[in-house]
Amino acid sequence: MTTAEPGTDHERMAAVARGNLDGMNEIYQNRHRPLFRFFFRLTSRQTTAEDLVHEVFLRMIRYRHTFQAEPEGEKAAGAFEAWMYRIARNTLADHARKHRHEIAPGDGELESIASNRPTPFETAAKRQDLALLHRALRELPEDKRELIVLTRFQGLSYEQIGRILGCESGTVKGRVFRAMKELGSIYSDLCKEKAS
Amino acid sequence: MICSHAKELMAAAWQRELNTPEQAALQQHLETCAECSTEMASLGLLWERLADMPAPEPSQALDARWQSTLETLVTANKQPASRTWSLADFWPRNPLWQAAVALACLLIGIVAGANLPSRNNEIAKLREEIAGTREMVALSLLQQQSATERLRGVDYTGRLKTMEPEVVAALTQAVAHDPSVNVRLAALDALSNTAVSKSPGNRGVLQSLTQSLPRQDSPMVQAALIDYLVDARDRQAVGTLRQLAAQPDLNPAVLERARFALQQLGQ
Repeated sequence: MTTAEPGTDHERMAAVARGNLDGMNEIYQNRHRPLFRFFFRLTSRQTTAEDLVHEVFLRMIRYRHTFQAEPEGEKAAGAFEAWMYRIARNTLADHARKHRHEIAPGDGELESIASNRPTPFETAAKRQDLALLHRALRELPEDKRELIVLTRFQGLSYEQIGRILGCESGTVKGRVFRAMKELGSIYSDLCKEKAS
Repeated sequence: MICSHAKELMAAAWQRELNTPEQAALQQHLETCAECSTEMASLGLLWERLADMPAPEPSQALDARWQSTLETLVTANKQPASRTWSLADFWPRNPLWQAAVALACLLIGIVAGANLPSRNNEIAKLREEIAGTREMVALSLLQQQSATERLRGVDYTGRLKTMEPEVVAALTQAVAHDPSVNVRLAALDALSNTAVSKSPGNRGVLQSLTQSLPRQDSPMVQAALIDYLVDARDRQAVGTLRQLAAQPDLNPAVLERARFALQQLGQ
């Protein structure tokens, strides 16, 4: 029995898994921005984030048979998101393995979204406090940064994140609290450094 | 409520995932725990500040790239797959038919194998050629300067199914005249393995070996030769054996072997 609502990305992906790729473009239109932001906040690189988004959609087609089209009961809700973000995390991990010697761009090296005009991020980053917060987020260990990105920026529930990471939602909450505490500590240090 | 549980509830509160009883329980804990209350205030503020961070946007190049990729994939997906035939398509599903097909294949194989005379002839001819080549190699190696190479030649004769007269002659020559004791012993060993050289009809071999007996400077070769003559029941070697046994400086082991041989050959 499927509980996925008609016209959702879950249903579209189920059709793709059956061999009908027609719904793939709609899935892309609905999901490529959140995915891009997820990758951009973790890599701080525009072109890398776009490459990764492209790769995720390719993998979604390539591994469409792994999508469970008919999860039962509560599992149906958010099943598509969990599957998509698992692919996204694997794609990022593969990328990190291949490019482990690359250095992430610094504050002044952040790639622009379009070369001939200031990006919304660049404009906002001029506000000092947000720039510091951005820096603090970048200094956070990768696993903690990922948790904050998934909860705060991607708008996923703890239940969904638990399914993506393969742990209980209570565990995710505890880890998010610790990540936030560490972020606060780094941010506070940076503010003191700036003031002195 | 313990603080660790309160921290989980704080994280849930930031995400607006608290139900009413949880919200009340957290509120109650925060009123009694100063540390948690401070953390809730400061980290909650930070959580809100994160929302002010602008959302980056992907470039239009990504859209163009994706559209191109998708078009290719959809086109490839809609093309009817060409039917490919495999052996599995012809394999029956019924086990009885499977057994019948297997039996039929076996019978066809046996009949076909039995009716290939020209091929058998070809194989026999090929075998002959290989044997001839081996013989040539063995003879060639026996002529080499190096004792090691001559030993290899002797070893090569062991691979011949039938010992041709040329090879027997070469081995006999080696036993009689080769300067290396090892080659002589190996050659004699090779001759011992062939019934041809010991047959009474092959007098030449036995005669040559008997004649070489007194000339041998190695007691080991002499002893081996005596054993060979006894094994071949060569009664015509008795005279030579007597002369050998009469030699005053003969090695005691060889003398004993010669006496034993004379007894064996009826003298």
